[in-house]
Amino acid sequence: MHIPDGYLSVPVAVGSFIASLAFVVTAARRVSLKQGLSVEGISLMTALSAGIFVAQMIAWPIPGGTSLHLVGGALAGIILGPWLGVLSMALVLTVQCLVFHDGGITALGANVLNMGVVAVLIGYSLFRFLGGGRRPLIAGLVAGWLSLLLAGVSCGVELSVSWGSVLPVYVMGLWHALLGSVEGVITGSVIAYLRVKESRLGWS
Amino acid sequence: MPGRKAILTLGVLLLTSPLFGVVMAEAIGYHEPLDLVAEELGLSESDVEWTPLRDYTFPGLPDWLGYIVSGALGVLLILLTGYTLRLVVVGRV
Repeated sequence: MHIPDGYLSVPVAVGSFIASLAFVVTAARRVSLKQGLSVEGISLMTALSAGIFVAQMIAWPIPGGTSLHLVGGALAGIILGPWLGVLSMALVLTVQCLVFHDGGITALGANVLNMGVVAVLIGYSLFRFLGGGRRPLIAGLVAGWLSLLLAGVSCGVELSVSWGSVLPVYVMGLWHALLGSVEGVITGSVIAYLRVKESRLGWS
Repeated sequence: MPGRKAILTLGVLLLTSPLFGVVMAEAIGYHEPLDLVAEELGLSESDVEWTPLRDYTFPGLPDWLGYIVSGALGVLLILLTGYTLRLVVVGRV
């Protein structure tokens, strides 16, 4: 879902960059001022960011169709909380873009907005709404699935607005409704596993 | 910083990642939904280059090894960023 250079119109690229920058600045201020950035929080964010970075490199090609890999936005939001989750995904996406050209530099704002803001905030909110502290597997599954679906739709909207066609929203929405199920299974399984192993994360 | 178990898991994932990102991608083809949209709309990626490590390759290394080295470099950069942030926070306290 990493949008390369040349796929977005200038107004959409600039608009999504401003929007994602606003979310990242808000996240940084929330984390440092309101929550208090602890050494433990930074360690967890760093480890999870590294894990998501590597997990995204493991892409499964699907014969005759498409490919899928974990995005990890919901996972970051659920484990780290919404704002630290946004910062974690922004860090991963920025390293991918600047160092490995995975996603365009003019589309970095859109990519952070889709995978680092939409996926994280939707994943976190749904997990909380569905009572993830009591049923982490089901809540994580639904949160992971819808986070990827809506991140895909968000990407589709940016392309649709750029080129005046509704096709991107349909294609991205339909494919990510399918691929999101894998994101959901991984998210739900990891969260359920961590819930058993770790009781300090305060999900209740 | 990540514990020993987490680092071991990352290492295993890194070492196996070329099976998916290089071997299977070359055998079956890597195609994302975004590529389908680009084909339908006739979009093409611009040629702007800013890094020699594009798509997790490493100059002079075969693709599978470059994928592992790039992955390790990415992890290192993320860990260094986290370490720097940690120093800033500890300094503040």
